[in-house]
Amino acid sequence: MSRASKGRGSIFRAAAWLLAACLSPGPAGADASGPWRNAPETFELANGVRCIYQQDAASPTTAVGLVIGGGRAAVPAGLDGLAAVSTRLLLEIPDERKVQDLMAQATRLSFLCLEDCSVVLVECLTENLEAALKVAAKIILDPLVSGLRVDRARELMLANGRAEEDDAVKAGRQAAFRAFFGPGGYGTSLYGTKSSLESLDRKTVLSFIHRYLVRSNVFFCVQSDLGRDAVRGRLESAFKSFPGGDAAGLPLQDPALPPDRGIVLERDAKQTYIGRAFALPRTCLGDMAKGILLETLLGQGPGSRLWPLRSEERLAYGVDAELTWMRSGGVLIARLETGRDKGARAAEALDRTLAGLREAGLADEEFEAAKAVTRVCFLRDTEAKTPRLRRLALFGALGLGPEAAADLLEAVRTTTREEFQAFVRQALDPAKALRISVGPARAAGPQE
Amino acid sequence: MDKRRWIRWVGPAALAAGLGLAAASAARAEGPGRFLKLDNGLRVFFYEKRDIPLVHVVAGFDVGSKDETDGTNGLVHFLEHALLFRSGSARTGAEMRRHGAYFNGHTGQDLSMFEISLPSSEAAFALEALKDLLFGLELRQEEIDREKEIIREELNQMEDDPERRSVDLVLQALFPGHPYGRSVYGRAEVVAAATAEDLRLFHRKFFVADNCAMAVVGDFETAGMERLVRDVFGPLAGTGYSPPRLPPAGPLKKGSSAQLERDVIGGYLTIGFAAPDYNSTDLCAMNVLVEALGRGINPLLGGYLRGQRDSVQYVTMSYLAFRYGGAALVSIKADPRDLPFVERAAQAFLKRAGSLSYSKKDFADPEAEMAAFDYLEMARNQIRFAAARVDESGLQLAGGLVRHMLLNTRDSPGTYLERIGRVDSTDLRRAAGRYFGRSDAVAVSIVPLPEVKK
Repeated sequence: MSRASKGRGSIFRAAAWLLAACLSPGPAGADASGPWRNAPETFELANGVRCIYQQDAASPTTAVGLVIGGGRAAVPAGLDGLAAVSTRLLLEIPDERKVQDLMAQATRLSFLCLEDCSVVLVECLTENLEAALKVAAKIILDPLVSGLRVDRARELMLANGRAEEDDAVKAGRQAAFRAFFGPGGYGTSLYGTKSSLESLDRKTVLSFIHRYLVRSNVFFCVQSDLGRDAVRGRLESAFKSFPGGDAAGLPLQDPALPPDRGIVLERDAKQTYIGRAFALPRTCLGDMAKGILLETLLGQGPGSRLWPLRSEERLAYGVDAELTWMRSGGVLIARLETGRDKGARAAEALDRTLAGLREAGLADEEFEAAKAVTRVCFLRDTEAKTPRLRRLALFGALGLGPEAAADLLEAVRTTTREEFQAFVRQALDPAKALRISVGPARAAGPQE
Repeated sequence: MDKRRWIRWVGPAALAAGLGLAAASAARAEGPGRFLKLDNGLRVFFYEKRDIPLVHVVAGFDVGSKDETDGTNGLVHFLEHALLFRSGSARTGAEMRRHGAYFNGHTGQDLSMFEISLPSSEAAFALEALKDLLFGLELRQEEIDREKEIIREELNQMEDDPERRSVDLVLQALFPGHPYGRSVYGRAEVVAAATAEDLRLFHRKFFVADNCAMAVVGDFETAGMERLVRDVFGPLAGTGYSPPRLPPAGPLKKGSSAQLERDVIGGYLTIGFAAPDYNSTDLCAMNVLVEALGRGINPLLGGYLRGQRDSVQYVTMSYLAFRYGGAALVSIKADPRDLPFVERAAQAFLKRAGSLSYSKKDFADPEAEMAAFDYLEMARNQIRFAAARVDESGLQLAGGLVRHMLLNTRDSPGTYLERIGRVDSTDLRRAAGRYFGRSDAVAVSIVPLPEVKK
């Protein structure tokens, strides 16, 4: 596996540089406000931290995400779960009274740990934003990381990890990332394993927090009915300062094809998960657009390419395609869950469907339909504040600006069928696919 | 019913069960909504939400697993598949995609719901497509036979999912002898034997304008959308159908506890209690109670159980308010070895919930009042927050409106949030005593296979 780019500086700056190098000139005619009534915008707080803000008057609520560069990419081999445990510990509130204030106001504190960033999420009724941010700032900037709390967070991760392993789709996805990226970074288990969690102590967690929770490596993402100045004022009042320092840049982690491309996770279940995972080219907006189009074309509902595996061949109830974007590229998984006696047939049908798209391409009508569905899915999936915050946080973590949504939809619109087909031929190369099955032994047939 | 008054209170209460959780309620006392009843009986609610260029339409029918018998259990769910996804559908997937449409369906105990969302410029197509899909069924036996295998896969998928499986079993066990005691997914043997004629009979009876309510939410101008709806759905004939009344689901005579072994590594526990129905005067108290006990940062039950066992990491409660009954569910994930203890502890705690203090006002001593935490205030605010969140999503909003139009039979004073605001600590204790104080809870846990079986 290659480990490229050892530049210093923040992860976000590195990603921005990468994208600047990769991006073609911005699409002409992109609507500046993008798909939403109010466009997201960026400003810098007095403490030097960047903020992506979007006003949305649909409800009297506010969602604030503190996006911390790193995420799973920053987790060394053997310390699986470190990013999740560390981010979880940023939410520890030592003062019982403060906990009660947040509870009474129905303020929610939670965290996400994605491939390239972690997000501490504060969601509240806007009338309580000031109080919520005050508490959040105190605990985030001075986190309480005691041995006891680390133990408690490890227990939580262990439980989350069990549920994740019991879900065939999540287990299949984790197996694909492990195979592509090895035991460190993106290949680590989100919540850790029993042995990796045992390796996490207070010192390791604090070191991780101090390394990544610095001004140059974080940004805020806010969705609120409040105006920009009011949001800025509340953030600046709560987060008067932020730790300085330069987060050591993380090298880009490129996927590598393992010698054995067959992954079998055995379990006694009524169904077998059959998946094919592909590593997509390094992220730039044009490729992201083509990737999203491919995800939609393959797997988003009736009329998609995988749908006949359900409607015609009756192999499955659930067929789907799922795309994850990271700084170093994307991972696309096409999958279905089939009866235990149909695994081999389903695997053959899935391969045939993917090969059909790659080799025969598609007609204009189908391509234009995929574009239409892609746009609607994007709008619907980002209609509510927190999902939209997540999407903008991801764009930010990938080094894209607040205009990325508009640019991405415009890139979807302007992608030609020929460009797309060239992308598909490269992306769905069967010689580079991981073949995953999760289910009863030998249900998926021979893997090679 | 007076149209203006209906609009005033429908919004908030409509969303009471919009997410399947009665507490996920909403919102506006007066909004830009308009109610319309066509001559054929079809009820329609229009709600302008103009922040993104989409329109969402949800159509619901008053038919669910409650309308089945043991011999037809699964046909309503089958019909959902047949209406939307059969190969010979009047509207193919490819055509829907050309218009950028997302569409789906959901079958429940009381209702069948169908949703579509697409660009607002395609609103006319959305209405035409829904009409064709839902009212224009022409079935062939071979299409039905093809779909059977897919439904079998859906049943298998549900059985492999420990959380869905345990909830399904708990709901069945909570309502023995009542139509709600049948699984929404249906019986495999009924599905296997189903004929096109069986489905046609169901369709002919229940999928009629008088048994349907529809909500249109999104980026449109109401007057124009109303004209479209009248043009598309107005010609449908009314049948004079009115849904039959079912007996209320009575309390269980005896509780039960079952444990299933599966190839999992976590432990999954669902505990169910009979709860008030959608039109009960206890609805708001139960909404608030479930929030206080089992939702939010550190609710009463979650805090208690986590204090008992470190391995308890996930505790949440939900409340399903049906037309003729209801269910309060506790879902817990923990180390499988701890589940038997956790089950006993949760039930014992909830049995005492009728004597707990929920509000500062419960304390006569000023010092105790100062020190106490106000779970009642927390719960009310959580409901306000959830209600506001529903306003953000057009599909959720439309779904909530349809559920309310079909389930509500009561004209309650004030808005939903006003009624929530009037719930006090005594109401909570009374509801807790009434619904959690008995010994008739149903528990289903799913635990790993013993090593020897692996």
